[in-house]
Amino acid sequence: MSWTPVLLGADSGTAVLWTFLVYIMGVFFIAWLSSRLLKGRNFLNEYFLGSRGLGVWAFALTLAATSSSGGSFMGFPSLIYTHGWSLGLWIGSYMVVPICVMGILGKRINQVARLSESITVPDILRDRFRSVSFGLIAVGLIVFFMSFNLVAQFKGGSEILRTLLRPIEAFGDLAGSLPDWATGLSNQGSDYLLCLLVFGLAVIIYTTYGGFHAVVWTDVMQGVVMVIGVIIMLPLAIYQAGTVIQDTQEPGIAASTTSRLESVTRRMATMVPPRKGTATFTLVDPKATQEQRVLPSGSWIFVAGEEGASDRLFKIAKGYKLASGSTSLVAEDQNGNGKLDKGEDRNANDVLDPEIWEIVDLNDILQVRKRLEKRTEANNLTGVFALSDISVRDYAYGAKPEERGAYVTGPGPHRDKVDGFLPLSLAISFFFMWAISGTGQPSNMVRLMAFKDTPTLRRSIFTVAIYYSLIYFPLVIIFCCARVLIPGMESEPDRIMPQIAVELTQNIGMGWLAGLLIAAPFAAVMSTVDSFLLMISSGLVRDIYQRNINPEVTEKKIKRLSYLFTMLVGLGALLGAMNPPEFLQYIIIYTGSGLASCFLAAVVYALFWPRSNSQGCIAAMLSGFLAHLSLYLVGFLRGTGFSAYRLYGMDPVVIGLLVSFVVGFVVTLLTAPPPRDLVQKYFCKPKTEP
Amino acid sequence: MTNSGQQPTEEAPLEYDPFFLHARREAVIIFCIWVVALIWAVPFCYYNGYAIDDPVNIPTTLGIPSWLLWGIAMPWFLADIFTTWFCFWFMKDGDLVHPAHENSKAAPAESQEATS
Repeated sequence: MSWTPVLLGADSGTAVLWTFLVYIMGVFFIAWLSSRLLKGRNFLNEYFLGSRGLGVWAFALTLAATSSSGGSFMGFPSLIYTHGWSLGLWIGSYMVVPICVMGILGKRINQVARLSESITVPDILRDRFRSVSFGLIAVGLIVFFMSFNLVAQFKGGSEILRTLLRPIEAFGDLAGSLPDWATGLSNQGSDYLLCLLVFGLAVIIYTTYGGFHAVVWTDVMQGVVMVIGVIIMLPLAIYQAGTVIQDTQEPGIAASTTSRLESVTRRMATMVPPRKGTATFTLVDPKATQEQRVLPSGSWIFVAGEEGASDRLFKIAKGYKLASGSTSLVAEDQNGNGKLDKGEDRNANDVLDPEIWEIVDLNDILQVRKRLEKRTEANNLTGVFALSDISVRDYAYGAKPEERGAYVTGPGPHRDKVDGFLPLSLAISFFFMWAISGTGQPSNMVRLMAFKDTPTLRRSIFTVAIYYSLIYFPLVIIFCCARVLIPGMESEPDRIMPQIAVELTQNIGMGWLAGLLIAAPFAAVMSTVDSFLLMISSGLVRDIYQRNINPEVTEKKIKRLSYLFTMLVGLGALLGAMNPPEFLQYIIIYTGSGLASCFLAAVVYALFWPRSNSQGCIAAMLSGFLAHLSLYLVGFLRGTGFSAYRLYGMDPVVIGLLVSFVVGFVVTLLTAPPPRDLVQKYFCKPKTEP
Repeated sequence: MTNSGQQPTEEAPLEYDPFFLHARREAVIIFCIWVVALIWAVPFCYYNGYAIDDPVNIPTTLGIPSWLLWGIAMPWFLADIFTTWFCFWFMKDGDLVHPAHENSKAAPAESQEATS
């Protein structure tokens, strides 16, 4: 089978745009259908919990899609591309995530929620222990963590949309036409602002209008899109990567799918990580046109090697434009000061940081040459530049001769960490992180309160297990193949997902499929954002207003408040995401592990331990919160920014969970047993009259 | 969890709902499976996939590095088989709310609707 690679250009951009528009229309249609369901039912129960009537597909896919945030389809592929096969171990605990997340708490939390007629997680804790203060502490923690996370997810969604739409010329024109006062609202550029508005408003409108059912049904649609995308990409990636190797050096080796994958692994075993650094770019012709004065992002530059040595290959990570009259970009990194925004004019002597990557692997250089010759790879550099003062640095782990094979062995290459990407302590931490921390997420707990009956739970666990098996390990294979197919993406690894989707499909003459595949990451982040949005608004409306301020509130007023709070929370997050705080990725990690540290022990004791009492569970919740927070504070005081101090190399979630369980246990035993009628209600069969 | 929970007061011992007891048993078994997965996957991958003598000629199975296939992919397959057995042969169905609870709730629920 022969194929001709093509560029991520206008055709694919149009496909993406159409897919996106159809997708958004589908989402709004679902919201409209959901709003019709709200009529004639108990509003709060329906709006925030879907009347506890979710069937197998809805329950399974909403849980799977909510858990798979944008990270699964953007961050995870970029990590695989950057660090190789070791990501298989990193994601390994997903083999038991479905059964852990749904099976440990599922039955009991659903049962207790029905017994107490709870709609939210704080509702359950408050009623289970008859403790108003417990409910308020729980809702306070949820609003605190989720608000930060929501801002981060809004930013993530906008970044994904920007990545997807960037190749489309009309998108650039539209972003450029935004008025100055609008672009001044965000420090991230006009294209980011446009994506944020489109993404944010779409999510806010359909979530506000349709409530829980809209969120669940869009999750189902999004879940289907994700798995179809992976199933299509897997054989294409193996076949095409194998063909690349077959065509270049090892004819005959790639006869079957297995040996094609074998050849990919063999190629990866010899790969050398790229180098990152800076250089001075000097325009050779001072009379160059304005177009020739541009250093476009992603451009390739070959520099003749010294005598006897082969040419050196560099990739420009960020685009720059030389001011007219100047001929050189001075590459001086002075603590990041004076960084130049993409495409911005500056004088030649401004302090800049034109980041470059040097590809040092000979097979990768060969592949880039071939792609440039075949015009698979875009190189928009029209001016001729000379590079001097080149200063590049090897990866901290993976570049030395004794570390060869880093892409096929643990701990995997890493640019900054000398102990590699996944040392043993982190591998253990990630087993906690995905399976146990996932079990402790309130967003998952809410879904566990919504399934219809126990057969639905059983079948859903099975469905999600198969679903994750079809997604996660195949993703590792796909993006290992991507390393061979498209070298040099380390400079912009988040773009590897859309890039590979477009290349794989267009190479077989089915470019229209790219739109569907590229919708997967967008769908993933949307399904996470809508769930978080509803969780915060339910906390405010139900847990704070209805249960503490105005218990006699009418359904009509509750309905108005629910719409209002969902919209206000969404708009607040949208405003926050216009100028997102620094360390955003760390904030996402902090909130996810922080919620688990707070909630898992308290909820497990509440559901499974009749002796547990409010004092013990509140102690478990607060101690988990403080232990987790203190590790971040220690990290901050040690000068590592928002990165936590890792006690014995472990992620803070491990320490937080340990402290939470131990403190909760001890405090429970040191305090009075719970009232007998509470134990009777939640742990015993009700007494039936003779 | 201790047996002290069996008798929160000095009154007659409470008879726990078999549905709760089975749900707790299921949770304990699932946690044990997580422990088994951790004990197998991480040490196996560490001893077979880290610090390999000749990584360029790394052993592979089905085109995947062998340490990853036997350390993650194969246990993943077995975990799916276990999940299937657990869901369809071990987990017990039951009423999420006992009919007697439903009856006892009926009156207050009606009065709440009346107020709204």
